[in-house]
Amino acid sequence: MQYMLLIYEPEDAYEGPAGEVLLVDVVAKYTTLSEEMAAQGVLRGGDGLQPSASATTVTTLVGGAQSLHDGPFAETREHLGGYFLLDVPDLDAALAYARRVPVVEGGMVEVRPVAIY
Amino acid sequence: MNDAGQAMAAARHRVVGALAARLRDLDLAEDAFAEACAAAVTAWRREPPRDPAAWLWRAALRKAFDAKRRLAVRARAACDERPPTPTPEDELLAADEPIPDERLRLIFVCCHPALGAEARAALTLKVVCGLSTERVARAFLVAEPAMLQRITRAKRKIRDAGVSFEVPNREAWGERLEAVLATLEIAYAQAYEDAALAGEGAPFADEVLRLSGLLAELLPHEPEVLGLAALVRYAEARRPARLDAGGAMVPPPLQDVSLWRADLIAAGVRLLGGAAEFGVLGPRQLMAAIHGAHLSRRETGVTPWADIVALYDALLSFRPGPVTAVNRAVAVGEAQGAMAGLAALEAIPGGGRLAAWLPYQAARAALCEGAGLLADAAGAYRAALALKPALAERQYLERRLAGLALAR
Repeated sequence: MQYMLLIYEPEDAYEGPAGEVLLVDVVAKYTTLSEEMAAQGVLRGGDGLQPSASATTVTTLVGGAQSLHDGPFAETREHLGGYFLLDVPDLDAALAYARRVPVVEGGMVEVRPVAIY
Repeated sequence: MNDAGQAMAAARHRVVGALAARLRDLDLAEDAFAEACAAAVTAWRREPPRDPAAWLWRAALRKAFDAKRRLAVRARAACDERPPTPTPEDELLAADEPIPDERLRLIFVCCHPALGAEARAALTLKVVCGLSTERVARAFLVAEPAMLQRITRAKRKIRDAGVSFEVPNREAWGERLEAVLATLEIAYAQAYEDAALAGEGAPFADEVLRLSGLLAELLPHEPEVLGLAALVRYAEARRPARLDAGGAMVPPPLQDVSLWRADLIAAGVRLLGGAAEFGVLGPRQLMAAIHGAHLSRRETGVTPWADIVALYDALLSFRPGPVTAVNRAVAVGEAQGAMAGLAALEAIPGGGRLAAWLPYQAARAALCEGAGLLADAAGAYRAALALKPALAERQYLERRLAGLALAR
């Protein structure tokens, strides 16, 4: 079964000199984790995303008109910062990987089964 | 309940568990079991079965496969495919296989931590114990449609999120077992809160007794499972003594020990002794030990309050929080005097929120009364009564309040 691991983090965690040091450490951990997922044959995809300031949101309004706005769809402290797409037997297996995602304090990993049409 | 009804209730855990594990679908398992029971009502009148559980298992399996086939036929009609060929299911029906014991799997599925705590408790009582949605709704004080929705959502999540019907592996074991234990605790709390046997929670008590016993039988090497089974037995042992003739609550130290159930106490002692052999302490074992300490009055004639304080101290490291702390303060009041108890109560962080919590006000009232602070005691009894206690506790508190007026 396929699961999407959606990784949400406070973006300011990687700001400043301490943030840069943290980033180097976190990137190394991500590399280790994704190599392991690949070796176990469960990794179907995954990447980090540019900061939410780079986002553009397309909104479809009632009646079908569309509008663009600069920024992510919701103003929250935590933003979607990356994802993994996994193929594992069940929810417990997906949750076990989700726990190992090296998020900073306050970070969250949402585990969503993929609906395959 | 008649004999057939009893046989069905007794077979339920095992048959629904086996069906759910085989079909990987809780709804289908429940429906098939219900249909098999309906068929049994007439079939058993003609010819009583040798083994009711086996009869129900085979009948339910057949009903479930029929239902699946009907769905498949409909799906094929829609996309115009070939007629069905014999499936492994037909072979399964032909084979004379005993009912596999999948009760543990069923419990783990219904108690998966990916479900909300209350949804888990409701689902377990509904699917594992077979209580009606209406019954479960009444015990959780929600309307039946709301409960039905909660249960339906939980089942859908199990299906859509890919919750496995396997017993969890070692990696997930600790958290999954914790979720099962927490679920049973919630279910039991619904039963215990209501001191009166006539309360909506009462039939749950028997179910949680049975379920915790079943779990202890299936997982005899888990000390907290044994601890929980002991806890439920100890607490239920006192049920016949929890109300007086007028229907008012009687607190444990004042209960008539001759009314306590010796059979449940003995079972609890056995279970808790078994748990202790593993040498791994946990909150359910400690709570059971606290109940056990109260029960020891049956032999010694006195409640060992100093021991109870020590047990609450240990419990605080597992369950820090006002519930433990308030109960501990009451024990301190008995062991070291009411002033010491009051000091312990006032040291509990939580401030204003505690004031709106019934057990806190009840404890404060009793401690103030013990310390001779009668005006404060009266105020606390009134505050407690204003928080709408259940009938049995209200009667008790009213009586204490009236007693205060006499003392002055």
